[in-house]
Amino acid sequence: MPHVEMPTWEAFVGAWELFADPILCAVVAGAVLGFLGVFVVLRRMVFVSAVVTQSAGVGVALAFYADIHLGMHVDPLLGAAAMALAATMVLAVDATPLGLPREALLGLVFALSGGMAVLLGDRISQEAHDIESILFGSAVLVRPLDLTMVLLSGIVILVVHIWWMRGLVFASFDPDAARVQGLPVRLLNRILFLAIGVMVGVSARALGSLPVFAFSVLPATTALLLGLRLPWAFALATALGVISGAAGYLLAFFYQFPVGASQTVVASILAVLGLVVAVVRTRRSRSG
Amino acid sequence: MMIRCERLVVGHAGKPLLPSCDLEIRRGTLLMVVGRNGSGKSTFVRTVLGLMPPVSGRVVRASPEPRLSYVGQVASLDRVLPLRARDIVRWGRLGGWSFLRSRAEGTACQRAIEDAGVTPFADRPFRALSEGQKQRVVLARMLASEPDVAFLDEPTAAMDAIAEQQTIAHLSRLAHERQMAVVVISHVLGLAERFADEVLFLDRDDGVVVSGPPATVFAHPTFRRQFGGQGQGDDAPR
Repeated sequence: MPHVEMPTWEAFVGAWELFADPILCAVVAGAVLGFLGVFVVLRRMVFVSAVVTQSAGVGVALAFYADIHLGMHVDPLLGAAAMALAATMVLAVDATPLGLPREALLGLVFALSGGMAVLLGDRISQEAHDIESILFGSAVLVRPLDLTMVLLSGIVILVVHIWWMRGLVFASFDPDAARVQGLPVRLLNRILFLAIGVMVGVSARALGSLPVFAFSVLPATTALLLGLRLPWAFALATALGVISGAAGYLLAFFYQFPVGASQTVVASILAVLGLVVAVVRTRRSRSG
Repeated sequence: MMIRCERLVVGHAGKPLLPSCDLEIRRGTLLMVVGRNGSGKSTFVRTVLGLMPPVSGRVVRASPEPRLSYVGQVASLDRVLPLRARDIVRWGRLGGWSFLRSRAEGTACQRAIEDAGVTPFADRPFRALSEGQKQRVVLARMLASEPDVAFLDEPTAAMDAIAEQQTIAHLSRLAHERQMAVVVISHVLGLAERFADEVLFLDRDDGVVVSGPPATVFAHPTFRRQFGGQGQGDDAPR
């Protein structure tokens, strides 16, 4: 077996200029998606996040398809954001008057986007590597435009959600009482769905669908497993998103793994540790 | 008058559930809404609150608009939400866009916590409380909101008989002392007779909507046929 030399810290620091943007992008996306993930997990929207990230991937594939076969230049970032938003809007529809639970709409969008991804992949095989990068996040670098969009969207979303936190939480968990007390529940819900759609869309283009899905579910899961109060759960989920994004990138650099998969594995390991802590704590409290 | 229902017909997807109803919800009164399971009590209240559209007729609110509060069935509140009981009570102070302002709700919330008997478990996680304790917490949230009209959907369903009586008595006092209108959906006919100023009896099967003082409503033939004497019917109103 040939000996492969591992990259060193010196090499990493020496090439920092190259890695600064993707790490910053992963850190910001991890933080904001980690924060939003608390809503995603507590409102039982995990599958929503999966479907929206998959739709963002399809949006990128559609952009490539339009470029190759239709001669239309559509920025993949726009494709990702548009499809993520479209999926979010469909999923935000209250289907109960039609006698349908939201899961039925989720199934529809999931099946449609999955099928479209395969069909588009078949027609743009020359871009298969790029598509794989987008779906699984094997891209090492990010474009300046993608970084800018992640930064801008992330900052705006985080500021609005922290500022409006009390209203968003009340409207999320007792919407009828909130509506009766005059809160703009519909608007608050739309803002939350819009934030998830935008952040997933721009992050999926920059980092890939797999790590984006992981960031939007796993840090929040870990934070909630630790039994913290809601404000601390938001803070810890944000911090764990940052750690997953940065540590995942370092893992990929030093062990030469794909970046997105490394970030996903780091977030998963943290969630498993949180699960272990929760199980031990529950057993102790029962035996005590 | 705080709220007036004019020829109000409630139902689902445009299909009427009950005949039309004219009703006034007035300051200083405890109105108890009674009827069998599935008789349309929750649908009626949700329509009056604007959470559901009426099939026909209208709901008129006083001017200036009264401050409303709604305590739904506690089972509908999320069970995984990592908040303390005190945090849930604080929601009572939110109204309109007030969630954008800094907190200035300490005194009203603390008084509501004490009034509703929540003090011993105010700092415990809401999800770890018994159903009866959770009902006290949402009652405290209603008190904290200092409403003109409070609507409560089976607020004592998980309480023992003593706590149930104390709660309805407390709501009756609130209505009279604070000149609030309190609307309570309940199955406890004995307490309705003792504490309610007015009763609204709904029956979907026989198409009956009757309102008035308890004695008048309880003398209605449909009511008597269904429940015999108070609290002795098959469908468990006590």
